[in-house]
Amino acid sequence: MRRLLPLAPALLFLAGFFVLPMLDIVGRSITAADGSLTLARYALLFGDAFYLRAMAETLALSAGVTLLCVLAGYPVAYYLVRHAGRWRGVILFTLVAPLLTSIIMRTFGWQVLFARRGPVNLLLEGLGLVEAPIRFTGSLGIAIAALVHVLLPFMVLSITPVLQSIDRRLEEAAAILGAGRFRAFLEVTLPLSWEGILTGCILVFMVANGSFVTLLLLGGGLQTLPLLIYQQFNTTRDFGMVSAMSTVLLLLALACLALQLRLVRKGG
Amino acid sequence: MRRADPALWLLRAVVALFILFMLAPILVVVALSFTSAGYVVFPLPGLSLRWFARMLDYAPFLQGLRVSLQVALGATLLSVLLGVPASLALARSHHPAALAAMTFLLSPLSMPMIVFGFAALFFLSRIGLGLSLPALLVAHGCVCLPYVVRVTAAAYRGLPPALEEAAEVLGASRAAVLRHVVLPLLRPAIAAGSLFSFLVSFDNLPLSFFFGSPGTNTLPVVMLSYVEQQFDPAIAAISTAQLAVAVLLLVLADRFYGLGRLVGQEGGG
Repeated sequence: MRRLLPLAPALLFLAGFFVLPMLDIVGRSITAADGSLTLARYALLFGDAFYLRAMAETLALSAGVTLLCVLAGYPVAYYLVRHAGRWRGVILFTLVAPLLTSIIMRTFGWQVLFARRGPVNLLLEGLGLVEAPIRFTGSLGIAIAALVHVLLPFMVLSITPVLQSIDRRLEEAAAILGAGRFRAFLEVTLPLSWEGILTGCILVFMVANGSFVTLLLLGGGLQTLPLLIYQQFNTTRDFGMVSAMSTVLLLLALACLALQLRLVRKGG
Repeated sequence: MRRADPALWLLRAVVALFILFMLAPILVVVALSFTSAGYVVFPLPGLSLRWFARMLDYAPFLQGLRVSLQVALGATLLSVLLGVPASLALARSHHPAALAAMTFLLSPLSMPMIVFGFAALFFLSRIGLGLSLPALLVAHGCVCLPYVVRVTAAAYRGLPPALEEAAEVLGASRAAVLRHVVLPLLRPAIAAGSLFSFLVSFDNLPLSFFFGSPGTNTLPVVMLSYVEQQFDPAIAAISTAQLAVAVLLLVLADRFYGLGRLVGQEGGG
């Protein structure tokens, strides 16, 4: 009882102002205008080509961004743990600095970099690679780069602690037994860092699924669920449909959270 | 000892690209904020502070800044008042119920903010809070709470229980132990958690967006509608100012509370 007293306010606060609103949305998604229960919105979500495509694009984009983050993040984490030396501070700064900037600043930064008279066009023209400035606006590549920019630090910071905990004698043992450096990495280090990679992937995938500011400002031609939620909330104001799409995103996030917890338990 | 090693050089190249990739979009905005031109053009034709002046002239920015400060400070205070006692109650317990409660307190970190923003707007309107500052405070409080809890609980786990036991043996009541032993030792952690919470609330867009009204538009919401309409260096100036304040806060916090130790704990080698 004495233990519960300091805990109760926080739990009640979240239950009342976080859980209840979310449940309210789930309820709204299955309630028809006349108050009866309906699954019509889910039938539409999972039956209509437009919505199916939006869900597929959401998942594909998140998966692609996650993959890019692993490919770019693993080498950086590896270097940070094994070779960084005096560069360690610079890399840590690079990982933390973006967290101090607003999401709008970072998105705006990509717009500026690739603006018609921005630094990239300046460089391309200076090198004589193009004659007139390229119009990059709205390209999917830039939107993806901006998403990776936001999420990459999370990936690196998830992999680093696991790499740090690997006993280097295992690699030395592999080397003594005749494995080349590359083979030792592939058969010893990489499998042992699997857990950090998975943790980072779940985290990045989860956050990518819900992100919308980047795509809203940079375009890219994709229609993801968060974008549709934003647009339908602003324009059609079909709140039942918005609730149904929100519920799908919510369930996805809960699934990711469950995976994350299983991973933590297994890792002890 | 090490010869020129192609694999290591490749790794170095990747890391150099990573640093360029991470810093370029930020540095380019900082540079642009000092331009004398009226539009985005590189190289900068000249230097000036006109965009910082524009930022101070544009009433919606200042209004948004005021709302953001109120919300971020209020939500942080709320999170500390709710989160610190809860962290102390949970941090050292291995009981499954305590672990579940901890997971629950941290769960807002994992939920898509756009969904929670939409949900909170409806729910809070239904109970009569609607588009108001208290509604924003409550919604931001839910998102800030996990940051305070995570940092405080981690620090409390790191305190040797012997300190509290010693005070209790010497006859201190539980309240006295908390006041004179535990809370002073946790002050850096609580400060760090508050700082994260403040920055997270200040930068939150997906949540605040749904509570848009002249009296409740936070700075990011105002900035979003500005960049949706025009593409000029005013956003660069305001972003740069915001970055400068965040860096300043971090440096000050480090000076007074030694955040470096706190954050660097997991650093190791």
